[in-house]
Amino acid sequence: MAITTGSGPSAGEDATTRERNLPPGEIVEKRAPRGRTARFFEAWPPSVLLALGWILAMLFIAAFVEILAAYSYTAMDLRARLTPPVFWGGTDVRHLLGTDELGRDVLSRLLYSIRMSLLIAFFGTLIAATLGTFLGILAAHFRGWVEDVVLMAIDFQASMPFLIIALAVLAFFGNSLILFICLMGFHGWERYARISRGLAISANEQGYAGAVRQLGAPAWRIYGRHILPNIASTLIVSMTLAFPETILLESGLSFLGLGVQPPLTSLGNMVGYGREYITRAPWIMLAPSVIIILTTLSISIVGDWLRDRLDPTLK
Amino acid sequence: MTDTPIVPPADRPLLQVRDLARAFHVRRAGGFFGRPATLHAVDGVSFDLRRGRTLGIVGESGCGKTTTARLVLGVLTPTGGRVEFEGEAVPAPGTAAWRALRRRMQMVYQDPLGALDRRIPVGQQVMEPLAIHGIGARAEWRSRALELLDAVGLGATFFARYPHELSGGQRQRIVLARALILEPSLLVCDEPISALDVSIQAQVINLLLDLQARFDLGFLFISHDLKVVRQICHEVAVMYLGRIVEQGDPDQLLVEPAHPYTQALVSAIPIAAAARRRPRLILKGDPPNPVDRPAGCSFHPRCPAATARCLVDIPALKPLPDGRLVACHVAHGEAGARPRAAA
Amino acid sequence: MLRYLSTRLVRALLTICFVVTFAFVILRLSGDPALLILSPDAPPEAIEAFRKSWGLDRPLWEQYFHYFAAIAEGNLGRSMRDGRPALDLVLERVPATLALTIPALILKIGIGIPAGIYAALNRNKLADRLTMLFSVAGFTVPSFVLGLVLVLIFAVNLGWLPSGGSDSWVHGILPIITLGTAGAAVLARFTRSAMLEVLGQPYIRTASAKGLAWRRVVVDHALPNAAIPTVTIVGFMVGSLVAGAVVVESVFSWPGVGRLLVVAVANRDLAVVQTILLFVALTMVCANLTVDMLYGWIDPRLRTRRVAGAG
Repeated sequence: MAITTGSGPSAGEDATTRERNLPPGEIVEKRAPRGRTARFFEAWPPSVLLALGWILAMLFIAAFVEILAAYSYTAMDLRARLTPPVFWGGTDVRHLLGTDELGRDVLSRLLYSIRMSLLIAFFGTLIAATLGTFLGILAAHFRGWVEDVVLMAIDFQASMPFLIIALAVLAFFGNSLILFICLMGFHGWERYARISRGLAISANEQGYAGAVRQLGAPAWRIYGRHILPNIASTLIVSMTLAFPETILLESGLSFLGLGVQPPLTSLGNMVGYGREYITRAPWIMLAPSVIIILTTLSISIVGDWLRDRLDPTLK
Repeated sequence: MTDTPIVPPADRPLLQVRDLARAFHVRRAGGFFGRPATLHAVDGVSFDLRRGRTLGIVGESGCGKTTTARLVLGVLTPTGGRVEFEGEAVPAPGTAAWRALRRRMQMVYQDPLGALDRRIPVGQQVMEPLAIHGIGARAEWRSRALELLDAVGLGATFFARYPHELSGGQRQRIVLARALILEPSLLVCDEPISALDVSIQAQVINLLLDLQARFDLGFLFISHDLKVVRQICHEVAVMYLGRIVEQGDPDQLLVEPAHPYTQALVSAIPIAAAARRRPRLILKGDPPNPVDRPAGCSFHPRCPAATARCLVDIPALKPLPDGRLVACHVAHGEAGARPRAAA
Repeated sequence: MLRYLSTRLVRALLTICFVVTFAFVILRLSGDPALLILSPDAPPEAIEAFRKSWGLDRPLWEQYFHYFAAIAEGNLGRSMRDGRPALDLVLERVPATLALTIPALILKIGIGIPAGIYAALNRNKLADRLTMLFSVAGFTVPSFVLGLVLVLIFAVNLGWLPSGGSDSWVHGILPIITLGTAGAAVLARFTRSAMLEVLGQPYIRTASAKGLAWRRVVVDHALPNAAIPTVTIVGFMVGSLVAGAVVVESVFSWPGVGRLLVVAVANRDLAVVQTILLFVALTMVCANLTVDMLYGWIDPRLRTRRVAGAG
């Protein structure tokens, strides 16, 4: 994804080479020298600043949800069921985003849902990155049949739609929050495995890692002190790019009623229950939807920007 | 691992290589279904190396020079023959004994930038071997690293620099310092100067000679540059397709080569004085694919002097009257029939 | 070429075996199948009889081979909800799913690929920016949100279209648009980057430098080369038709395989879940094989590999 097309620092750098590749007849305007503000915005495009701001706000909410939320996510107020939000013609300022079918405050539930969805996506991504990197390095270290097995698993994982695998596992094992997080941790591990395997093999064969091994370093030192720190930026960029996908997967499964189970609440789960009231109280479903879209969008923008800055080789 | 280095008796070579061979199983083009084949990268190589001496190995790319170096270092296990270092066989790669042996044998690379971790200041990398082998107290590492930096001609200001901030020659000095901090007795140099600017090459060669005298190092010096080899080597071995074809004193061998292949290599050295210009022998064709090594003398398809015997009989590496070793029927006067017509 | 295809075929079979093994392993790991399939308070004799009939009293490796044999015969067990063969249940839902996914696929290809090519040829112009905006939206808006928003607008507020069900073709419009939009966005982004990659290659510059009309350069040189990665992603889309339909069928209560899967998972109807799992794997493998054959046809490098291998 290239959201920051043509405005990022890296795009400016190879603009000259691209100029030559343009179809004949196209004229690219020359860039005029710019001031300090312009240079600042070239390094930090406004879209990236906005996205970072949104992500920080979400993290803040996740950290301080107990203080921020006016009500518990399970607190019911049966006299005030399906109250519309204040800007939707509602009059009840105690419920800024209205209430749901059981009179629970939508805003408070939304804040708790943000925490839950971010936590699941965070741990899921972290598990996937750890697992994938571990398997990739294992393959690079042992080669031979270990590598063949890992490569086969990578092929399998990449060729089956993960949603189907996830649904099958949920059917067979039932659902619990821990299992669900572990399941999210299996999403996309093959990407980290591919990256770390490739980088570790080339480092071992011709680079610094081979040289350090030649100095007599044990394997833990080669991987822990040299290879991992060197590939960390690439892995972090891939994690950032995978994070929104994990959020979408989590919310999709929760929407289907197969992810986070009540009384716990997550963004997808709120949309799923809000859908029943789409005619009478669409705000229940719209509020979490907006959060999902803005959060995934923000993280994608930041991920693309990070990739352009740290690791342009990653596609 | 004791802390006192084992000094070999004077009569025993530092490094003894006998009938060393390494074959690789490869597949011909066609991927998974390609026919399996055997590639003899190194085949029946023998040589000795003493402390304080330099053995040069020269040859075209793909002749098995680098594989020989990797076998000597024990990074690869030989499929035949043996390597003895200070009187003992080199252990299997990756074992604790092999790792401990790294204190005694070290390597210098062709590409110093690739051999350094870009993320770590070079001073830290110079002292890393001490950390790996747990030598001395942590507090002494830094001063030891500074000593080595000084020995390779770099000041203390370089300690905190990163590899990308240094020039090619400076990086190679860092690699040397890192290798020498362990006080090895053997240094394997795989094309250590070929990636450097010509102006820097001489500096690094002088540094190598200086360090050899200072630390009584044995060098295994791999290169395709005959002039450099003649400058620093006490003995030189010419390799062709995994075998040594000629071995001896560099002055003798590079002035009056006996093997047709060496003759061709020597004739390719550029000479400034026009008066001393010799006829240039240009080899026909590329070196054959090591997977399809010709029968008999493997050089015969490109050899201007090949006879019928060369096509069937592998020549042995035997001494000539002047003491050098040559593997050639023609040079030994055993070729029999007249040279066949040039094809 | 033949060699290339036979490698692919072996890989396809391996994938199927892998999926069957996967199903077997998680079925065994998840606990006693007898207790899972019957209710825990079923009479002990019934559980014992079930174990015998499923061969659960025999050693694990033997069970594994029986499992394989049963699947090869098409015996995939019965749904525990209504006792009908799971395969029949799945197959009768397939037409409904195809009725959604095939028009959606046409929509994806029909919009996504031309939009991607157009955006690449007009890089950094308004059309390109708009396409990218659309494709970013397609990536970040989950299909259930898009579906529900469409329902909100066209069914609830405007009342033009039904919000769910499958009584007539009108019911299919919203789900098809939902499915197609997200896929088209992905495809547009992919085609655009494949095209840009190709347009940056030296041979394109050579072709235009030697005076070939730009139109010819694009049609003869750029498009065939950009087609190779694009075919892969289309193949993956075909292979994951069922997976893609899971959420959308649920949003619109469309009686397809995806909806069946969600209900089966919720009820832990294991026979049905495993049948759908295998069905998806089979579709995926067939789609991949087709893509591989197309590759051989599009990419001359694969055609000549045979010659290089013989030489």
